[in-house]
Amino acid sequence: MDAQDDIEDLIARVAIADRAAFRLLYARTSAKLFGVVLRVLDDRAEAEDALQDIYVKIWANADRYRVNGLSPMTWLITIARNHAVDCRRRRPAREAGDPEEAAAVPDGAPGPEFEAMRGADRARLAACFGELEPGHAEAVRRVYLEGETYADLAARFDVPLNTMRTWLRRSLLRLRECLSR
Amino acid sequence: MSDQDHPERDDRVLAGEYALGLLPAEEAAAFEARLREEPDLRALYAAWAEDLAGMTDGIAPVTPPDSVLAGIESRLFKPARPPRYRGLWLAGLAGAAAAVAAVVLVAMLLPGVLDPGPAAPEDPPLVADVAAEDRSLVVRAAYDGTDHTLFVEREAGAAPPGRALELWLIAGDGAPVSLGVLPEQRQAKLPVGPQMREDLAGGVLAISEEPPGGSPTGAPTGEVLATGQITNT
Repeated sequence: MDAQDDIEDLIARVAIADRAAFRLLYARTSAKLFGVVLRVLDDRAEAEDALQDIYVKIWANADRYRVNGLSPMTWLITIARNHAVDCRRRRPAREAGDPEEAAAVPDGAPGPEFEAMRGADRARLAACFGELEPGHAEAVRRVYLEGETYADLAARFDVPLNTMRTWLRRSLLRLRECLSR
Repeated sequence: MSDQDHPERDDRVLAGEYALGLLPAEEAAAFEARLREEPDLRALYAAWAEDLAGMTDGIAPVTPPDSVLAGIESRLFKPARPPRYRGLWLAGLAGAAAAVAAVVLVAMLLPGVLDPGPAAPEDPPLVADVAAEDRSLVVRAAYDGTDHTLFVEREAGAAPPGRALELWLIAGDGAPVSLGVLPEQRQAKLPVGPQMREDLAGGVLAISEEPPGGSPTGAPTGEVLATGQITNT
């Protein structure tokens, strides 16, 4: 049984309220998700609270895991990322995307299990980001990992909101076409 | 459908915007309604979710403190009758003013709506007197083995202005592990994770002053203000 099946099996058991499986799932995945949440929030206490909320959601929604057809790690990462972004966007308007603050969070090496799981996909993703116009890959990255909105990006690129929206949509289309090749 | 001039009309783009959380609430809800009906759209969304999640591959895993799992479990699996209420009854508060009894009764009926605040454990197996040398900061701690929490009561002192007090457990030669940030209230109950429970006996508690919300690094960054040996009762 590989890591993915293992996590899938644990989610299935959590769906039937298996507490031991929930603890195992937490043991296997919490460091990855905490890393993601810390990256998005860059605030330890806030990230700890967010991680609690995330695992409460995972417990509550495990029975609906199959609905969207995501792989188990993607499902977990998506819940974590979306929740962390919601928290970040709810903050009072401070430090709206300070580049130095973002740079202050180290991006260390991924765990070997994720490296092995996604090695090929990762290279493909990097190659497709590389095909985007300068700045646009960074814009997508900021939206995903820092929760920036079209308004944030428009301010950063110093263009009207509609222009920013059109640009990014074009880049998303290019990205999708490249990733689907 | 592909339309370079009108990318907003392309479902591939829409699915990407949804996955990134760029759609306004109404459009996101409309997209979700379509997701339930359209398998092709679900596949587009799933493709984006998988690819975007790949952006987290370069993020290093960070082990969360034990207090996080303890907090999750207490939220999900809390006992039908939280010990703090029992403690209140046994502490004799039932005989106090009728108003207090009424509050306790309401609190029992509506857990979480009215929280009477933490009560000291009745018979703690482990206690500590965490104090500054000059007693300018004194925090009494008592471990409650029934719900694996550390009851803390700040008897003297407070956090310096603009700073927070964070409580640490030091076991043997190990690095300090955070038990959490002390709230502004004088009393609090901090969850103690399974891995930390074994380290309590014979360990040392320490309080450092940290930025609001606690140490950003997971290790003490400010001055250690108080320490205390954990002892068996």
